[in-house]
Order: sequence, then structure tokens, then C-alpha cells
Amino acid sequence: MAYTTFSTLSNDALKEPMFFGNPVNVARYDQQKFEVFEKLIEKQLSFFWRPEEIDVSRDRIDFLNLPDHEQHIFISNLKYQTLLDSIQGRSPNVALLPIVSLPELETWIETWAFSETIHSRSYTHILRNLFTDPNEVFEDIVNNQEIQKRAVDISYYYDELIHAVQFMQLHGLDQTDVEYVNIQGKAEKLTLRDIKKKLYLCICSTNALEAIRFYVSFACSFAFAERDLLEGNAKIIKLIARDEALHLNATQQMLNLWADGKDDPEMAEIALECFAEGREIFLKAAEQEKEWAQYLFKDGSMIGLNEQILSQYVEYIANQRMQAIGYEPPFEVKNNPIPWINHWLVSDNVQVAPQEAEISSYLVGQINSSVDSADLSTFEL
Amino acid sequence: MASSFTYNGQEYQLDPNKTLLENLEAQAVSVEFHCRDGHCGACRSILVSGNVDYSTFPMAYLKDGEVLLCCSKSNESINIKSL
Repeated sequence: MAYTTFSTLSNDALKEPMFFGNPVNVARYDQQKFEVFEKLIEKQLSFFWRPEEIDVSRDRIDFLNLPDHEQHIFISNLKYQTLLDSIQGRSPNVALLPIVSLPELETWIETWAFSETIHSRSYTHILRNLFTDPNEVFEDIVNNQEIQKRAVDISYYYDELIHAVQFMQLHGLDQTDVEYVNIQGKAEKLTLRDIKKKLYLCICSTNALEAIRFYVSFACSFAFAERDLLEGNAKIIKLIARDEALHLNATQQMLNLWADGKDDPEMAEIALECFAEGREIFLKAAEQEKEWAQYLFKDGSMIGLNEQILSQYVEYIANQRMQAIGYEPPFEVKNNPIPWINHWLVSDNVQVAPQEAEISSYLVGQINSSVDSADLSTFEL
Repeated sequence: MASSFTYNGQEYQLDPNKTLLENLEAQAVSVEFHCRDGHCGACRSILVSGNVDYSTFPMAYLKDGEVLLCCSKSNESINIKSL
């Protein structure tokens, strides 16, 4: 089961499962087993943006005028998002590309991870503008206990899958000569079904990440901008939120295609078997996000948002996102406690009116408008 | 007779040039939405009867009998309920 970068086996990609079939050979997009991944690629490409297009220079003044507890909220969220996108910028590629079997899904995974790297670059863009030396902020990401707690949970399922797949591709699944020692250092009997189960749980965890982990930070950024503060940052976060909705769509597609038996029949069995575990992963992520809200507001809340409202919002979107993958909504909350956020999440609404804030799209095609008389010296009448 | 739009048992007017989401919003019905572009699935609802035409490809995963309100239109009487 070694990985090959170009399998010479003539196979019909329309008959392959999403994962663990034959490796993809010809990158062809004229036909798709699951058209939605092709549509996702097209949409993600059409969303392309660069952090430098957004002017964040005014944010520095706003930031310096914030009271300490609001600076803590703003910076902590940026740190957490930096962590999330550090993981997402590489993990789908490392974990999923060696096992994917459909060309459209393979390219979607690469497109997805690439867009996460743009997000990471935008955090550097924001922080460079706020601090002369942003080093301290970045260094704290691996030292901050609150961020660490979450990092372990997110990376765990990816690491488990990557470890098992690497073993399988190097030694096969025979295990007579070399036994599999799992990531915790314990001997484990590994079958293809076990690895598929690790894949299923990994996608459950990634889905929870894309579904709710970003949204506490998003809400805070938009709440600042509702007060006309840190608008450059909010504009970037709006573009990030638009991308994340696509990424969430993709993980929901995978989970639903498996559960509905439209892909690998063994994955349908695993989806049933891991139904409760998948639910637990989601609930734990929701719990951690509520704890994060507690940490953010430990020294005081901000206008328009407090720990209680934010926790209710986490429960509200957790309900929605869990329903989307076939679970009963677990929380009581029925209405969106911060309905104004929806206007920040509209996809075709990313351009703002000139009087509201600086328009990012003008900066893309900007020209040098300073003209000196020397520039005209070669002109003759 | 003009076509009607039944939503959660309540009857509303149906403008075939507007999306179903816009139809409801125009009649002061608050419906969940995010992307308004067919990819986030926030407006997923159940189609009880009638047919819809999509103006853009509905990317969100839909189970049988589900529709997206943000990118669908209808020119015949339609009955929809929320999830």
C-alpha cells in the first residue's frame, strides 16, 4: 500500500471512494464523482484575496486607545486564530493527500489548505501593523495554557491518522515483521477499518473546528467594528469567515456522504459505529469555546458582548452545525443572541460603502498619483 | 390565481422574481441566513410540496426533500417548513 505520485494503473476515478481507493493519477476535472468539490474549488478560487489589499493602518490607533481588558480580548483572539490556521494550513495536506482517491477532492484539499495559509499571512499583516515587534505575541501561542489546551485536542486526531497512514504505507498492514506502535507508544493491531475510523474521527474534529471554533473570535472582531473600531481587522476577518464557510461545507459533505451510504459502504458502517463519539467531539469543542469566552472576558466584557451572550451564540451555532450533520440539536437556545452578526457573514456583501470604511477593492488596482513636472519633461508640443 | 407560498403553515404572497428567502424577508418573516450564496446551508428547509428552481448551484449538502431558501425561486404554489 505504498503511496505513488503517479499510479500507472488505469482506473476509473468515478468508481473510486473518496479515500483509501487507488491513489489519484490524472488530475482531470472534466468529470467528477462528487461535483460539489469541483464547485467548491471554483468558489474558493473566486474568493481569492491578499491581506495586503486591506489597509489596517488605522487599526493601530484604535488598538492603542482600547482599555487593557479589550486589548486582551483582541490579541488573545488573534493568537487563537493564528493557532487554528497554523494547523489548518498544513494538516489537511499532510493527513488527507496521501489517502485521497478522487482528483476533484484532492485539488479541493490543496485549495482549502492554501486558503488557510492566506489567513495565517493575514494575522502577521495585522500584528505587524499593531506592534513594532510582534515576536512576543507569536511566541506566546506555544506557551499560553489556554491556547495549548485547544491545540492538543485539535491536532490529536490529525496526528493519530497521519501516524497510522504512514505505518501502513511503509510496512503494509501485515504486521508480522513489524508491529504497529501507536502515537501513545502502545502496540496496536491495525486494520484498514481502524485507519478509516481514525479518518472519520479526524474529519469529525476538523468539522467541529471549522463549524464553531472560529466563531467566538469572529463575533468579537465584528463587535469591535460595530463600534467603528479596528475596521481593517474586521474586513480581513470577514474575508476569512467567508472562506471558512466553504471549508465547513466540505467537511459536512464528507460526513454526510459517508453517513448516507453514498461513498465507501464501510465508511457508512463506521459513521454509524462512531455516531456517539462524533457527537462527543462536537460537544467538547463547544465546551472549550465557552471556556475560551470565559478566558477572554476574565477582566471585563466589551460593549455589545459578554461571556453569557457569547456562550449562547456558541450553543446556537453548535445546534445548527450539528443538525447539518444529522444530530439532534443538543442545546436549549432557539434564537440567535447576536442576530447582527449574520450581516457580517453574507458572502456577496464583502464590499462596503465608501462612507462606512475604506474600500479594500480600490487598493488592488491603485496607481501612483504623485506627478512631478520632471515626469513630463520628455513631452514635446 | 396568484401562486402562494406557505411557510410553517402560514400563507404568504409569492413573487417569482425573488428568492424564497427574499420573499419571506419582504413579508417580515425572520429566517436564518448567512452566506446567501448557497454554500453555508444556514437556510436549509424542508420542501413539503411544490418545486424550486435554483439560481446558483446549491452547494450545501441537502438530504432528500430539503431546499435552500437563499438561492431558489418558484413560480408555482409552494409549501415549505423550517427544520
